[in-house]
Amino acid sequence: MNGFWRQAATSTFRGWSARRHGVDRLPITVERRRIYILPTGAGLALAAALAVMLITALNYGNNLGLAFAFLTASIALVAMHHCHRNLLQLRVDARAAADGFADSETVVEFTLHNDSPLDRYDIEIRCAGAAARCAVRAGARRQVAVALAARPRGILRIEQFELRTQFPFGWFRAWTYVQAPLVAYIAPAPRGGRRRPEVAGEFDSGTHSETRGDEEFSSLRAYAPGVPLKQMAWKVLARGGEPMVRSYTSSAAASAWLDWFALDALDPEARLSQLCLWVLTVDAARRRYGLRLPGLEIAPAAAGTAHRTACLRALAAFTVEAGP
Amino acid sequence: MSIERGSLEQLASAALCLGLALLPLVAGLPPWISLTIAAAAAVRLGLAVRGGDAPPRTLRLTVAAVAIGTLFLEFRTFNGLAAGTALLALLSGLKLLETRTRRDLRVLLLIVYFLSLAALLQGDSVWLLAYLLGLSWLASATLLRLAVTQDGPDRRASLCYCGRILLHALPLALVLWLFFPRLAEPLWRIDAAGRGAATGLGESMSPGDIDDLALSDEIAFRAHFIGPAPPRDQRYWRGPVLDDFDGRTWRRHAGASAAAPFRPSGTAYRYTLHLEASRYAWVLTLDWPVAWNLPQAALTDDDVLLESLPLSSPFDLTATSYSKITPLAPLGADQRRADTRLPAGQNVRTAAFAVQLRRRHPQALAYAAAVLNMFHTQPFFYTLTPPPLGADPVDRFLFATRSGFCGHYASAFAVLMRAAGIPARVVTGYFGGTFNRYADYWIVRQSDAHAWDEIWIDGRGWLRVDPTAAIAAARVDPNLRDARFAGDAFSLDLPRHTPWLADLRLRIDALRELWSERIVRYGQGSQQSLLAHLLIPNPNAEKLVSVLAAALALALAWLTWQVRRGLRPRRVDEPARAYARLCAKLAAVGLPRCAHEGAEAYAARVSGQRPDLSDRVGALCRQYSDLRYGGGRADAGTAAFTAAVRAFKPPKFPAS
Repeated sequence: MNGFWRQAATSTFRGWSARRHGVDRLPITVERRRIYILPTGAGLALAAALAVMLITALNYGNNLGLAFAFLTASIALVAMHHCHRNLLQLRVDARAAADGFADSETVVEFTLHNDSPLDRYDIEIRCAGAAARCAVRAGARRQVAVALAARPRGILRIEQFELRTQFPFGWFRAWTYVQAPLVAYIAPAPRGGRRRPEVAGEFDSGTHSETRGDEEFSSLRAYAPGVPLKQMAWKVLARGGEPMVRSYTSSAAASAWLDWFALDALDPEARLSQLCLWVLTVDAARRRYGLRLPGLEIAPAAAGTAHRTACLRALAAFTVEAGP
Repeated sequence: MSIERGSLEQLASAALCLGLALLPLVAGLPPWISLTIAAAAAVRLGLAVRGGDAPPRTLRLTVAAVAIGTLFLEFRTFNGLAAGTALLALLSGLKLLETRTRRDLRVLLLIVYFLSLAALLQGDSVWLLAYLLGLSWLASATLLRLAVTQDGPDRRASLCYCGRILLHALPLALVLWLFFPRLAEPLWRIDAAGRGAATGLGESMSPGDIDDLALSDEIAFRAHFIGPAPPRDQRYWRGPVLDDFDGRTWRRHAGASAAAPFRPSGTAYRYTLHLEASRYAWVLTLDWPVAWNLPQAALTDDDVLLESLPLSSPFDLTATSYSKITPLAPLGADQRRADTRLPAGQNVRTAAFAVQLRRRHPQALAYAAAVLNMFHTQPFFYTLTPPPLGADPVDRFLFATRSGFCGHYASAFAVLMRAAGIPARVVTGYFGGTFNRYADYWIVRQSDAHAWDEIWIDGRGWLRVDPTAAIAAARVDPNLRDARFAGDAFSLDLPRHTPWLADLRLRIDALRELWSERIVRYGQGSQQSLLAHLLIPNPNAEKLVSVLAAALALALAWLTWQVRRGLRPRRVDEPARAYARLCAKLAAVGLPRCAHEGAEAYAARVSGQRPDLSDRVGALCRQYSDLRYGGGRADAGTAAFTAAVRAFKPPKFPAS
């Protein structure tokens, strides 16, 4: 019951704070106005102890006891200021580091910049139910990865994350909410037993010395400033010719189609899982591939981060229509 | 939140804090409690070193039940300062035994604060406060390392950090302490004050039992005379009057009634007594009190000032006493009977002797003088280690042992008076005192405790007689270093050891008294005079609260500024500092930079004078110019330059 009320209060407060501050644009510097602070359980226990100490010392008319009680209370008050300051003017940036897979962790990466000459300790980042703690030294930058627990396939939208600290003594908790929409695509868990489709021209790949990984050499053209040196046709130049540049084109012929419709025996989620596994294996084999889903087709392209991400995101975002 | 296990280091430092907090209390605790706590700490730490956890629950509960039961049997209560402190100490030990999680350790540190307060309730020296401040520092550093487990500051950095917090807290604490309103009356009365209860005057006296006299140099009270101080033979500080004698023990009679009316005469003395909390309701005064500033107190029929309840906190008594009082009415029949009563069938030899002597001296005063003369001329000795007296102690003292201290003489004298039908009573209190010329007050120590008599002479009232003073100086124990004795030839205002040492003692005591007056006894009156110093007219409680609020606001504003200031980038110009260091290094090898020289010019000159340094100095100066005038952010460059300067060690002479 207690937990219920606590949660209700927290979510109401989060909503209020979100309306108050509006949507933030990352990176954001934590300003005074958005830091909230409350005593923790330990802080309340200390307050109760201090009240007892104060009344005892007053009753005994004991000035040294009073001095001690006041000093301890003042230490708590100073600690409150230090707790608040521990978040103040911290610059924070966040991004979904990589897309995740269902049933495994999704990592959100935060960067904390501390431009002040103070070390910041015990900074806790809480995001979508997960948390990570770190310290940021004076003038330093710190990257913190928050690993979110396994989630179902889909698009994970994080509206808000929280920076929290209980430094220095755990008597107070200061926190701030950052309303910065973060999006992470959760691809289906890669699994399945189907053989991946053959790729045309697979047998003669890897023999061309001129291939540059993902694309194939096709022709030479005249050099223009700004072209990467890697693409210079040095042999032509060495023979005394004009500076030429090798140009590459991709051929649609040598590519595999990873096709939803080839998997009609499976239920939709299993199909997506199988497609995901294929994307990963084909991409790892550095082949060209395309992805075909109902109502969506990603044209074949050479293996690479951008293409793989596009395919995985398509799989993550794909909504299965109900019914046959 | 912190259900995680505490580490061995955390446990050890919390245990250290606990031990340090218990240290000032150990003297007042029953020894078995200290031993129990030490054993608990040893067991818990021993287990922790072996990687073990707290001992099993049943064992812990058994130990706790036995220990708390024993404590109750010893004190019969958990109330009051002594029992409460003992209980708190015991609980801290038991808590240590069961400590497992970080939360437990936090509770332990909270107990450390309580123990510190308990220590302050029982002692008030500046050293104790300083010690506990240090402990508070250590405890907060422990707490910091307990709260920040991941990636936290190391032990040294924690201490530094907490030191800064402590410094920031001091002004705030000072403001609160100065202006926080004090209670005029305690919310509830405390039965026995811890301090002053163990030593000092009691309410009974049994000369003849083996008496462990309070020979301590501990200070009973300090007194300041407003105006001239009375001469030595008038400085009798009146404590409880004992008039109920059972043949062995003198006691204070219960159920005192109001004093009979009297007329003060002689010299008036006005003075302030700095009294400690007491477990008795009577209040010390100079003989004979006439006016005082305790509204609840009244004189009883034995002319003792009696408060309604014992003083629960230190109090400054301001009173006026007269050197003489004359009663306006004769002694009541009841009181005369009470003050001549002797238990039948005891000390019969003394009684017979008194009757015989009285026959020779029918005049009461002449009779008293004859008794004093006997003490003076016959071989009566003054010693602090008299032989025990056994049955009929007065008989044995007067006719057999004939040696004793003030209590023996006062008792014997009173018995001799009563046996002859003269009302007599024993007064206990303090006599004399040492003047501290550095601070204009008198120090009265426990070793100044004294007992004397008062006899009633019709028409003159109660007269003070000090039989101890009658003993011939030659028969005073030569080893005696005691202020009790009042013989003329034995002036005890003389320094006890060596003059300079006594002088030093007085100076130290003057400082202590200053501390006590300004800090320990700071109260409502002091607060109002502080407000008056701040030029606030008609200081009262409401104004005090307003001043507190204003001062607190100022202190908090200062604190906020101070805390925020830490965030601002330090204004130190790092490259300039490193460059200055470079110049200093070169100056040390005889190549100081001239004030007009820029970095490049300086490098050129150095190259000319010391070709062997040319490359390095040239590079460094160029680096500096780049940092200065190169533009852009140059954090990395600054670090590199600083490091290069640090590494640069020019040899004094060029290598040949």
